[in-house]
Amino acid sequence: CVDSLDDYNIDQKKAGVVTAETLYSAALKNLTDIVTTPSVNSNNLRLYVQHWTTTTYLDEPRYIMTSRTIPQAFWDALYRDVLADLKEARRIIEADQFILPNVKNNQLAQIGILEVYSWSVLVNSFGDIPYSEALDINNSLPEYEDAHTIYLDLLDRLDVALGLLNTTPAAPYTIGFGGGDLLYNGKTNPISFWVKFGNSLKLKLAMVIADIPADAARVSKAVTEATRDNGEFLMKANADNARFPYINDAPNNNPVATNTNSLFTSRQDFLPSNTIIDQMNSTSDPRRSAWFTLWVATPPEGQPAPPGVYKGGTYGQTNTPVTQFSRLSARIIAPTAEALLVDYSEVEFLLAEAVERNLIAGDAAVHYNNAITASLSYWGVAGGDITAFLAQPAVAYATAPGDWKDKIGTQKWLALFNRGYDAWVEWRRLDAPALVPPTVTNQTYIIPKRLIYPVIEQQVNGANRNAAVDKLEGGQDVAAVRLFWDAE
Amino acid sequence: QERITGRVFSAEDGGPLPGVNVVIKGTTNGTVTDAEGNYSLTAPPDGVLIFSFIGLATQEVAIGGQTSLVVNMASDSRQLSEVVVTALGIERSKNELPYSAQEVRGEDMTRNRSTNFVNSLSGRAAGVDVKTNNNMGGSTNIVIRGYKSIMNNNQALFVIDGVPVSNANTNTNNQRNGAPGVDYGNAAADINPDNIESVNILKGAAASALYGSRASNGVIMITTKKGRKNTFDIIVNSGVTWGKIDKSTFVKFQEEYGGGYVQTFSPSETYNGVERPVPNFTADASFGPKFEGQSVYNWDAFDPNHPNYHLPTTWRFAENGPEYYYETARQSNQSILLSGGNDKTTFKVGYTRSDETGVLPNSELNKNMFNFSTSFDFTEKLTVTASGNYTRVEGLGRYGTGYSSANPNQVFRQWWAGHVDMKDLRDAYFRNGQNITWNWNADRNRPIYMDNSYWTRYENFVDDTRDNYFGYVSANYKVNSWLSVMGRAAVNTTVDYQGERIAVGSNGVPKFERFDRTFSESNYDLLLSANKDLSKDLNLKAYVGGNMRRSEMNSVRASTSGGLAVPELYSLSNSRTPMTPPTEVLEKIGVDGIFASATLGYREMLFLDIAGRRDQSTTLPEDNDTFFYPSAAASFVFSKLLDAPWLTHAKVRGNYAQVGNDAPPLSIYDVYDKPAAMGSVPFFSLPNTKNNPDLKPERTNSVEVGVDADFLDGRFGFDFTWYRTSTFDQILPVTTTGAAAYTAKFVNAGEMVNKGIEVSAFVVPVRTTNFSWIANLNFTRNRNEVIELYSQGGVPVTNIPISVNGVAFQGGVTLNAAVGHPYGVIRGTNYTYHPDNGQPVVNANGYYLPTASSSEIIGDPNPSWLGGINNTLKYKNLSLSFLVDIRQGGDIFSLDMWYGDGSGVTPITAGLNDKGNPKRDRVADGGGVLLPGVNQDGTPNTTYAENYNGSGATAYGYVANGGGGAPRAAYVYDGSYVKLREAAITYTIPASLLTGLKFVKGIDVSVIGRNLWIIHKNMEYSDPEESMSSGNTAMGYQSGAYPTVRNYGFNVKFRF
Repeated sequence: CVDSLDDYNIDQKKAGVVTAETLYSAALKNLTDIVTTPSVNSNNLRLYVQHWTTTTYLDEPRYIMTSRTIPQAFWDALYRDVLADLKEARRIIEADQFILPNVKNNQLAQIGILEVYSWSVLVNSFGDIPYSEALDINNSLPEYEDAHTIYLDLLDRLDVALGLLNTTPAAPYTIGFGGGDLLYNGKTNPISFWVKFGNSLKLKLAMVIADIPADAARVSKAVTEATRDNGEFLMKANADNARFPYINDAPNNNPVATNTNSLFTSRQDFLPSNTIIDQMNSTSDPRRSAWFTLWVATPPEGQPAPPGVYKGGTYGQTNTPVTQFSRLSARIIAPTAEALLVDYSEVEFLLAEAVERNLIAGDAAVHYNNAITASLSYWGVAGGDITAFLAQPAVAYATAPGDWKDKIGTQKWLALFNRGYDAWVEWRRLDAPALVPPTVTNQTYIIPKRLIYPVIEQQVNGANRNAAVDKLEGGQDVAAVRLFWDAE
Repeated sequence: QERITGRVFSAEDGGPLPGVNVVIKGTTNGTVTDAEGNYSLTAPPDGVLIFSFIGLATQEVAIGGQTSLVVNMASDSRQLSEVVVTALGIERSKNELPYSAQEVRGEDMTRNRSTNFVNSLSGRAAGVDVKTNNNMGGSTNIVIRGYKSIMNNNQALFVIDGVPVSNANTNTNNQRNGAPGVDYGNAAADINPDNIESVNILKGAAASALYGSRASNGVIMITTKKGRKNTFDIIVNSGVTWGKIDKSTFVKFQEEYGGGYVQTFSPSETYNGVERPVPNFTADASFGPKFEGQSVYNWDAFDPNHPNYHLPTTWRFAENGPEYYYETARQSNQSILLSGGNDKTTFKVGYTRSDETGVLPNSELNKNMFNFSTSFDFTEKLTVTASGNYTRVEGLGRYGTGYSSANPNQVFRQWWAGHVDMKDLRDAYFRNGQNITWNWNADRNRPIYMDNSYWTRYENFVDDTRDNYFGYVSANYKVNSWLSVMGRAAVNTTVDYQGERIAVGSNGVPKFERFDRTFSESNYDLLLSANKDLSKDLNLKAYVGGNMRRSEMNSVRASTSGGLAVPELYSLSNSRTPMTPPTEVLEKIGVDGIFASATLGYREMLFLDIAGRRDQSTTLPEDNDTFFYPSAAASFVFSKLLDAPWLTHAKVRGNYAQVGNDAPPLSIYDVYDKPAAMGSVPFFSLPNTKNNPDLKPERTNSVEVGVDADFLDGRFGFDFTWYRTSTFDQILPVTTTGAAAYTAKFVNAGEMVNKGIEVSAFVVPVRTTNFSWIANLNFTRNRNEVIELYSQGGVPVTNIPISVNGVAFQGGVTLNAAVGHPYGVIRGTNYTYHPDNGQPVVNANGYYLPTASSSEIIGDPNPSWLGGINNTLKYKNLSLSFLVDIRQGGDIFSLDMWYGDGSGVTPITAGLNDKGNPKRDRVADGGGVLLPGVNQDGTPNTTYAENYNGSGATAYGYVANGGGGAPRAAYVYDGSYVKLREAAITYTIPASLLTGLKFVKGIDVSVIGRNLWIIHKNMEYSDPEESMSSGNTAMGYQSGAYPTVRNYGFNVKFRF
């Protein structure tokens, strides 16, 4: 008979028990990867906001999501590779009887903040999604739920997480995930940075739904709480940024490098779009040298080379050879380039907006200037150049064109240059700057306002997916339908 | 009465035949030949002698006054099948067999000297679906009576002399899904064809129940050659074949437009004062400028070592296109087989060596195959048999497959620029071994997508070895006249090594990756057999036995990271950045089975079989690890009751059987994946598939009925079988929404049914002394339906993708198990058909309007029927045999055409439209394409669609319709074919000519050919049989398809 002493079903090469920390840090890495990557297979948002465009293959800048299973890659990454591991980490911590209560709370809070972040990316991309029935393999036909309801629940969950964070007594007890906290490990009192990250995220989530009259009270409460004590608990400097430190070694290098750096790929698919470069040229934006290379035209034989210029590829059109254009800078495509989940600059933009919306007192122009300053200094622009940039009539808050949404929207769209997902959320929300889809004979394109549902949902969770599609405007699963918070 | 002496020889190998019955016709007087084949008897001078021997054609020879008669006896396929080797090596007479079993003789499979005998089974047996891939040493898909398991293995089990052997496919999941990879073939190809006496195909569950779980997919039973007592024979084969691609299976190119996505050149450049336009080298498409004899700086003008460096050349279609790349394959095959024995001992020693080069540059496959077996009678009652076999396969430069630039067909068929001259490219590489490409990146410092095709083969090659050991020892003890005991221990071990390289200077990240795998399986069998006449009319055969199987698979896959530190050093330690940890897999399986069967025979006419088996498998949870399954069968030889001289033999048979199946290893308990650590921070992650601790065995029920009949003294006969199998409680790693935390989970549900008919027939239109013609026909029709998948909270799931890990194939199509449909249906976007007239609808721009849903069923990859016609004609010493292999139906999505049409490679994308204007002119100028169809309102389409560039203004393929792509349904093709699969002409040099050569018993000279002619097919530019790999996804999808290789050559066979 089969020897019952040995259970052949025990995998001798894989762990059956792991620490919560390892799951947490893997989830954090996967979350950063999916919002950061420019891979045409999973995240084309840098294209949709016209920061980048492509040289040769035009499906992606023309918003075609079905040539590849792009929405599925985005969806699976967030649910399976981020939220499932966070949930598992939470399960392990909750079952751990020996962990110090203080540490436990901090860890649960860190998990909670990342969970809210991840859910918000899903909701802000797809709209209605599986939520309370999700992440349970015993229910592999989860029901889709209303995006708005989910969104409000996320704000509540964020409050719960923030309430668990405990920065006192001082070290060594104020640790959370310690070495597994890839965002703030190494800082003095890392939990205090999580307080800033969490509150900044809260401000951001609240502002996303600020156009919904019915949510006015909820928004006001969240903004008031997040900005309490003069913004003491918000990010106050670039040093507070939620930054993910990619390393030089594959597969943990920055995914931008994977898709653009000649160390990792021979492809030359991407280049900066003329939309952003033309905008920046008009203000001689000093960040250009941090983001792009200069393009030098080939002189007629025997003539000296003309001075270099910044020249973007025409958005959504063929741009070959790429040597005819500016390209992404070495800093952008560096394997070790850090990625940002929330940064100080965006917090200041949110504060400027909160002033304009009468949610807080203050001077919108000051916050606006702080935001731009934070962005420029993050990208290494010297103080004098910052002042000069701010002084330009097209930049200065008082004189920049349009209403506050245009002013803030345009500068925020620039500041979020290396963050396609966030730029896409803010562009849909602030409706600025005015982006124009590519002009192609006989074709009409609409810039996506959402991602369509993964194709495979039709096959494996069809009834629930169809019910969600029926609720979409027009009853079709198309990218042109606006999300619940997208007023216009 | 006169004394007649003589000798009997085998016509096959010239050896003397002992034990042949020699009887004087009309009497019962006779004798038996001795060990040297000699006989002697007294007979009337005008009498007739009848020579008979089991498995050989009975001969009647008139004495005609002679006193010495030498007879050569040939084997007879019908006669040979009188005794059939069934499960566990048990021999049974064909008469009593209550199920369908079809035998193929070793001779038929070796005639064409293919080194992979599995390929030679195609068309030779009903119910067997063999799909041969065209790459050198590539894997072969073999499925008997349809796909039964939705997610698990469906390949037939291979058994040698009663012992199961591995037919593992070690290709990666990516490879099997059409993503980049290499096809390393499967292990059944290691079996030496020259060592095969016969192959018997056990198709149904009843036939194979005694093998237990693994036999539910049918069994390929191989009986090896054995030495015979008191003989000594040597057979030597020496042959060479050559192979060339069949151009009807290769892409045709439009010859009017060159490389580019748009019809303009890149900006002009000036060298030596000469300004010329430059083609867009980064474009891997043929939508570029028209060939009008322009003067340009082509890719070679930027290779400093090229004679054309900085010189303009003429813009024109290449003189040597991609077909120039394909070389002549060569295969040399040498084998020797020594066999014989004395009174107590038999032995056999064989060695076969084959050296093969493929049609791709720098490809080689060498096989060394050793076979040994011996038997020894210790006493009258105790016989011990032992066999040892070793095959070593060494591959160099096996072919890249799928969507990868390592597969030259991806480049040629999908992303080619028509101006590129292959000979020029060859010279550019060989000039100094650099990766000079037509497809420079914009900086012209390295290739952007496509390496030089020769660089790919000579620098980025793979190498591999497989050592395959197989051996057993068995002892058979005859307790008494009716009872015997057999004990056997067998081991099969395969050791694989695969090494893959990407050289520094390639378009990919340089790397060295190695895969090491050891698999070992041991089987211990004990079998008690009884064969007793209970009365004059009643016979009982009974078996009771046990099998213990243990297997262990141990593998490591490791790769350098971030490039290679030093060029041309292919070693893991040469990793540029710290290596990502290797992936280790250790899988152990133990199955213990006990079984019993009994056959009751009444007057050799009516037979009743019952059998049962109980298995205990470690792959199942302990509470559910034991399962029992029964079978029952009956057969009735009704011809014994009829006195019809035209009816030689007729039998009806029927059976019912159940087979249980266990789970794949390691699918019970949950474990974590271990992604590469980030510096010193370790990561763990939940896996993508959720295991299931509550699995229970999967079951297959099968019913089969059939009729066998021979007429007119063996001039015509057929075997007809109807069967139905239902496989339920399937163990499925089903694809789930990622929102459920995993993208797959193991469930125990689902049912799939296969129904079909099989006919194998033979006809002997001519049978005279000098001339005979035998035709064998096989027909298979299988219908498959997915009845049920699984339910979740009462809601039935009606579709799951069957690709490995559920991924969609490149091109956005999936293969699916869909309730109510045949297995493997292809889903993708369809044409929108007009509800009134059923015509495809075009949109306002004249392009076909794809359906919004990409889940439309657009193809069924299952053939509607398979057929094979095998003819053997013999005239005196000359014999001709040829095999026609037919597949009707079976749809295929072609990624090659999807991209090739979209990138302007194929002829349909150029030429003139129905107005007589170039299709690639703008519609405003009279160009464009008028696609047949109707407008949304149902009126005929009159809108010409733009077709002037590859950036969204094309009418075909992946960028049609402004980038959305044509309906995928437009790229689904009918996979029917009629192939002249094999032909051979053999001349047996008459003994009279060999009298001077004392030691030579016979010489056969053959001219052989394989895949000679595709008589008919509906799929243009491709071989509809070509696929990616073996396994459940080996149907319905082509990407980078290799062309068919026509093989022809000769072989000389010596018998000593």
